[in-house]
Amino acid sequence: MKVTPRTLEESQEAEARELLERRASRLREQGENTVEEAVHWIAEFPLGEERYALSLESLRAALPLKMVSPVPLSAPHVVGVLRFQGQVLAALSLASLLGGHGWRQDPAVLLVVDRGDGELCALDCEAIPRPTTLPMSAVEAARARAEGAVMEVFTQDRQLIHLIDLKRLFSATRGTGARHAR
Amino acid sequence: MPVDPMLQGLVAGFAVEAQEVVQKVTMDLLELEREGLETDALTRLYIRLGRHLHTLKGSAASLGMQDLSDIAHKLEDALAPLKANAQKMPRSVVDILLHGLDLFLLRAQAHADGRGDALPDPAAALAQLVADAPPPDEAAAMVAASGEEAAVAAPTPAAPSESVSVPDALPESADAGWRVSSWQVTSLMREVERLREVRLRVEERGRELERVAVLLAKEGLLAETAEARTALSGTARSLRTDGEETSDIVDALEDGLKAITTRPVRTILDPLQRMVRDLSRQLGKEARLSVVGAEVSLDRRLLEKLQGALVHLLRNAVDHGLELPADRERAGKHHEGALTLRVEQQGNLLYLEASDDGAGIDVEVVRRLAEQRGVVTPEETARLNENQLRDLIFRPGFSTRTDVTDTSGRGVGLDAVRASVEGLQGRIEVASTPGQGTRFMLTLPTDLGSSPVLVVRVLEQLVGLPMLAVEATQLARAESLRLGKRRAHLEYQGQLLSVVDLGARLGLRALAPPAEGQPLLIVQSGGKRVALVVDAVVGDRDLVIRPLPSEVRDVPAWQGAATLSRGELLLICRPDWLVTETVQAQVSAQRRALVVDDSLTARALHRAMLEAGGFTVHLAASGARGLDRLQSDTYDVVICDLDMEEMDGIQLIAKLRERPETASLPVILVSAHDSAVARERGLKAGADGYLSKRECAAGRLLAEVLDVMSRRGSRA
Repeated sequence: MKVTPRTLEESQEAEARELLERRASRLREQGENTVEEAVHWIAEFPLGEERYALSLESLRAALPLKMVSPVPLSAPHVVGVLRFQGQVLAALSLASLLGGHGWRQDPAVLLVVDRGDGELCALDCEAIPRPTTLPMSAVEAARARAEGAVMEVFTQDRQLIHLIDLKRLFSATRGTGARHAR
Repeated sequence: MPVDPMLQGLVAGFAVEAQEVVQKVTMDLLELEREGLETDALTRLYIRLGRHLHTLKGSAASLGMQDLSDIAHKLEDALAPLKANAQKMPRSVVDILLHGLDLFLLRAQAHADGRGDALPDPAAALAQLVADAPPPDEAAAMVAASGEEAAVAAPTPAAPSESVSVPDALPESADAGWRVSSWQVTSLMREVERLREVRLRVEERGRELERVAVLLAKEGLLAETAEARTALSGTARSLRTDGEETSDIVDALEDGLKAITTRPVRTILDPLQRMVRDLSRQLGKEARLSVVGAEVSLDRRLLEKLQGALVHLLRNAVDHGLELPADRERAGKHHEGALTLRVEQQGNLLYLEASDDGAGIDVEVVRRLAEQRGVVTPEETARLNENQLRDLIFRPGFSTRTDVTDTSGRGVGLDAVRASVEGLQGRIEVASTPGQGTRFMLTLPTDLGSSPVLVVRVLEQLVGLPMLAVEATQLARAESLRLGKRRAHLEYQGQLLSVVDLGARLGLRALAPPAEGQPLLIVQSGGKRVALVVDAVVGDRDLVIRPLPSEVRDVPAWQGAATLSRGELLLICRPDWLVTETVQAQVSAQRRALVVDDSLTARALHRAMLEAGGFTVHLAASGARGLDRLQSDTYDVVICDLDMEEMDGIQLIAKLRERPETASLPVILVSAHDSAVARERGLKAGADGYLSKRECAAGRLLAEVLDVMSRRGSRA
């Protein structure tokens, strides 16, 4: 037996319930029809005109870019040092590390990441990254192809993402912290 | 020989005590062996030696360790004839006494470990000791060069009362203390360090409260806010008092923990005296080790790790560095080689120097042997300079010995020393002068606890200096400065000290002589001194200096960073870097750019781009600071952000165009706005060029800078 709603609030509530019902059944159907594909979680962000990403598991925190002390005589990619959970971390210019020349806007965010060797550092970024996924197969294929620290991976909707391999990136820049040796 | 189970608990403590006493005896013996001591000093040494041996004998007997008591007794016997006529002790007697002490310690440790039952009968060892000892009359005769009648003393058994004498100072029972692991103590120290940082923040909160009270008074609401202001001021006062009490507690906690976690460097250096003596005897050489700074206290773990490296460096110095006495005399040197260990701590850095006055390192020999041993190829050595060739001694597999001896020749040595120093995040360097000697310099971080730091300011940059390196502060006065064409000197205590501008040294500004009244700090390190020019002395703080991350650890200017009251980091400058002479770069021929931008990352990126293009780049974080820089320095081009707080790029250009000296200075505006309107507005305001951040990202900055400079140049 269908009950006729008596008030406007009750009517809206019923509509919302129906809407949620429809969405739920649609999602259930999708789950039954598609074969679940392994995915790689990433933190995606813009860098210049392109889209870049880091493996989400390497991301430890996103902080506002402040309280960074510049380090005179350090390498050009070193923005400065900051304090994070009692440790002193280096804040690095990601654009500079990747051989770029700048950002569209001044970075306002620092991403604290694991460099791949257990040490943490902070990378500057225009905005807080967006968590999303890439097909694991595409990531593996790109990794096999790539020689440098940046892998080109296409998303399911054919968008190009530059996935950064932090371990490779930092092993390539190791030992270049000083501008002027003694 | 079993120890009474009732006394076993005390034996471990005895072993530790015995080790300390034996160390003292060893030092006395080495001193007695040397020439040139006054009779009074000799007498005092003999008396002290006798007392120490007696303590060992009495303590061992009271714990029922008769074997140890007998050994100590025999050593007393060997000493007795010499005490009567205090003179330099013959080497053979020193050998016997040292050997006896080794025997004593080995057996004491075995008792402490509960292995007393398994020890061989001491009779054989004692008989050997007695057999080796010169007869009393001979021993006395050895020292009685003056012909005085030697006191012949037959071995006298200890008096019964002596053999049961109460030990001088037995350690407390094990039950009286706690056994804690090093990480537990280190964790506590970390908490104390954090507490010190919290204390700094609380201090800042107090200052903020006081500022609020002042602001309320300025608002013209005096009557309405009177009660609130009184309450705020009262809270600020209480906070200050509480803060001072907290400071005292933090100091006491840190001192207490430091007493537990550290010990004087002397504890690892004293045993090295014996090692140097034994090794030089074995090699037919003569050596004397002097130690400077042995009272510095360091983290016990660091000391343990350092000991091996020091042993190796000293063995190397005796074996490879020092010449045989006859060779030394032929070279006009004293027959006894001089080894020196110098220890100095500044802030969180430990400087350790091991030097000898031997033959020095022959770079040609190093090159030849490195090639022969396959450490490097001749092609590689051809490319190396003298310092790099000398550094080959740190490569694995390198040895100058052609034969393998007990001491060296296996090619495992300095590479292991370097590995252990680098394992402690330290650095090792070597300097050598042929015929004059060799110096190994170790720099190591010591990161426990706080240290006093002097905070100074240069332009906008705060910099910390380890207080131990700052000898004095004074203001620059024309009459005490000597200004040359390329550098200035300060007349200080009858010496001329180089004047070093910290700002220029850090690449923050161009080199200029100090202005009248500018603060000068006399900074010393490793015996060198300079007069350091800063813009302001902010004050001194007790700060916890933490190591820098690997990305900036190699920058020689910095030794660490400390947290200030608002959570920002203060970089701590290395005094040894400040006092090191540098070749002044010929910057006059280089083009100079000033980047004015309130974004730290934009400044860093522009700097990178321009430096890559051969520019010397200085930075300013605001329009006002940019103007300040332009008043004291000259630049070929200014790159300026359009959107800045307080004074934007348009306003800065207007100010520059007003002043004759900067009216025609090329200025490029950079902005996130990429519209034609914004571009037109910028150019209309007097900018020579306009770039969007997007264009900068595309790599246009350097090209635009060169283009603008060339256009200005052609117009001029």
